[in-house]
Amino acid sequence: MQLEIYAVLLISAFVILSAIGCLLTRDNFYSALYMAITLVGVAALYALMDLQEIFILITFIFVGAIGIVTVSLAAVYKFAPSRQLSKAWIIPSAITAILLSYVFFRGLSSVEIGKLSIQQLEFNYILLFSALISLMVLLMLSVLSISRGGTSD
Amino acid sequence: MIDVVTILVTSVSVLMIAYLMAISSKDLIRLLISLELMFASVFLALLPLFSIENLIDESLGIAVITIFTSSSELLVLIATIVKLDRIKEDITTYSITAGGESV
Repeated sequence: MQLEIYAVLLISAFVILSAIGCLLTRDNFYSALYMAITLVGVAALYALMDLQEIFILITFIFVGAIGIVTVSLAAVYKFAPSRQLSKAWIIPSAITAILLSYVFFRGLSSVEIGKLSIQQLEFNYILLFSALISLMVLLMLSVLSISRGGTSD
Repeated sequence: MIDVVTILVTSVSVLMIAYLMAISSKDLIRLLISLELMFASVFLALLPLFSIENLIDESLGIAVITIFTSSSELLVLIATIVKLDRIKEDITTYSITAGGESV
């Protein structure tokens, strides 16, 4: 149990550090790589809580598909590396993060994560999956239509 | 057993980093990366929802909807970046105009 708490702390620190790396790096390609690492860290937290279904969805769809496309885009559109950090917004962002963290720190404690079994799922979720996959296919067809010079109608 | 505070503080930190990145971005790739970080923060904020035993199925439903809709949104933004590059041959945020005004 103690080990699990330390693992959560370690992965959380890893997620925050890679997100900071994403912000501070000058090259978009490395920024996209740090972003993929951050997403893997988030998925790892789900795996640690034994929520394997969500871990697979995040890893396959978010990291595997969207993340890799972003990395490819960043590799293709190369810019002269420049610092993209607005110094004026650092302090307000930090203050907001600290205030919200303080609110969470005062009001919450540890909880037990329940076990999820895909076999217990009802039919509604299969319908939900089908509807969402249809949504993605429709969106892609619209995008294809627009990129070929047509309209979105 | 997990420490909810650790998860939520991580979520807020990633969200603020993503906001800062979106505000500072000079090109659309950086904006896309910041949006993906925002969604990573949303996934982290969802994690404590699985601690409520009666809502585990509903939590899975919310997680699935979030994953699919955010992926669709990001795919559309990726297509927009490619299209903008074809039209303007530039993907800096300065090249985006709305109603004659530069954004």
